[in-house]
Amino acid sequence: MAIRDFTAPALPRVNGGAAWLVPVLTTIIASLLTILPLRIPGYAALTPALALMAVYHWTIYRPDLLPALALFAIGIGEDLLTGGLVGVGPLTLLVTRAVVLRARRHFVGRSFPSVWAGFTMIAGGALLGLWALHCLLEVSLLNPRNTVFRLVLTIAVFPVASFLLGRIQRALIDGPRLMRRH
Amino acid sequence: MIRLSPQFRAAVQRSTLPALILLSGAMVVAAKTDQTMFEGLRTGIGDVAAPVLDIVSRPLGAFEAAAGQVRGFLGVYQENRRLEEDNQRLLQWQQVALKLTTENRQLQGLLKVVPDRAMSYVTARVIANSGGAYVRTVMVNAGADNGLARGQATITGDGLVGRLTEVGSRAARVLLITDLNSRIPVKIEGSHTSAVLAGDNSERPRLLYVGTPESVKIGDRVVTSGEGGVFPPDLPVGMVSATDGGILRVEPFVELSQLGYVLVVDYGLSASLPQPVLPQARPGRRAKVASSEETPTQPIAR
Repeated sequence: MAIRDFTAPALPRVNGGAAWLVPVLTTIIASLLTILPLRIPGYAALTPALALMAVYHWTIYRPDLLPALALFAIGIGEDLLTGGLVGVGPLTLLVTRAVVLRARRHFVGRSFPSVWAGFTMIAGGALLGLWALHCLLEVSLLNPRNTVFRLVLTIAVFPVASFLLGRIQRALIDGPRLMRRH
Repeated sequence: MIRLSPQFRAAVQRSTLPALILLSGAMVVAAKTDQTMFEGLRTGIGDVAAPVLDIVSRPLGAFEAAAGQVRGFLGVYQENRRLEEDNQRLLQWQQVALKLTTENRQLQGLLKVVPDRAMSYVTARVIANSGGAYVRTVMVNAGADNGLARGQATITGDGLVGRLTEVGSRAARVLLITDLNSRIPVKIEGSHTSAVLAGDNSERPRLLYVGTPESVKIGDRVVTSGEGGVFPPDLPVGMVSATDGGILRVEPFVELSQLGYVLVVDYGLSASLPQPVLPQARPGRRAKVASSEETPTQPIAR
């Protein structure tokens, strides 16, 4: 119903049923995946920022279905479950959304490499920003090594996540006809 | 349903994002200045999420077990030979240990040594980790209902893992020894030099306030000192692995990124831990405060 408020070319209506929940659900799942105790050496420190990928994808293609309030709630939940500083999670997700919304027209309808390049910049900004924020909060220069590794891993995993999210979007929300138009 | 004017709705929609960003920023500052602020909410969410995380993390365990079985099957011949050699060696060690135990008991009897407090253990499964956040914690699927309490030491068969910082009724959070806020009183085995093991979010925590740094060598074993009475003494922690630039680093015995089950040690002292400090009384870090202040007044049974 409120679909038309966001951007000039009206976003298509959702196919039906509970499909409008898909962006929020996939973001929650992405966020849960990062805290599951996978026993891979060093995984806890270097977990790719999966929620960031979901936010990037949905903010480009369906910003109407992943509202700021949902991101806020997901971010808070993540902070409470990881034991991180409360507020950092929603701050990251919401700032990412704000930046992507502004640059959205550069990404919609572009080829995958430019979408990937866009994500590289956004993820770089987000993770390095997070590192800077924690340096500031701890009043000390934290070792950026893990952040850099995490960033590389995040950028490397993005194509897979993007493919899956695109598939889910096509199957459950837009239908094949509408995706082709993007 | 109330019909709002389109302009009003647009204005609300436009201002939601900046307002929430500001709110998040304010929460970060608030949470930083008063670390106990969200503790109730944290344990509450942990309790609610624990059953879900417990179920979701189970298939992972099963998958890992299956992968381990396949690997084990492939290397069964070499493994068997290695184990046979190990077994030979360990049988000799068993003889030595038995002899030393008897001797130790006799000597303690002669000296009338007060025995160490008995420890009891609770086994818990790791159901969540910190997922890239700037903390090193794990959540376990046991809480106050199972007899857990703040400050208790958490170990595996290999050595020390960390300390409980938040305990809900069904879930608890373990602050790993590598976390930025972790401070553990330790000593270097052999030389008995005492020190504080301080995490800095890297895989290898540092040793601070080392009594006689020149006596510490690479390869020395680091164990808990039991000072402050919160931790049992002589829990293995790690091995001194680097002395570069005067900074001593410790390689933990436990592979902290691959925790499956952990043991929570009840040393019968957790009740003596100070409760979470009031914000106005002490705005500093919770983790730093909790470990040693106020507790030395407790009798230490050694």
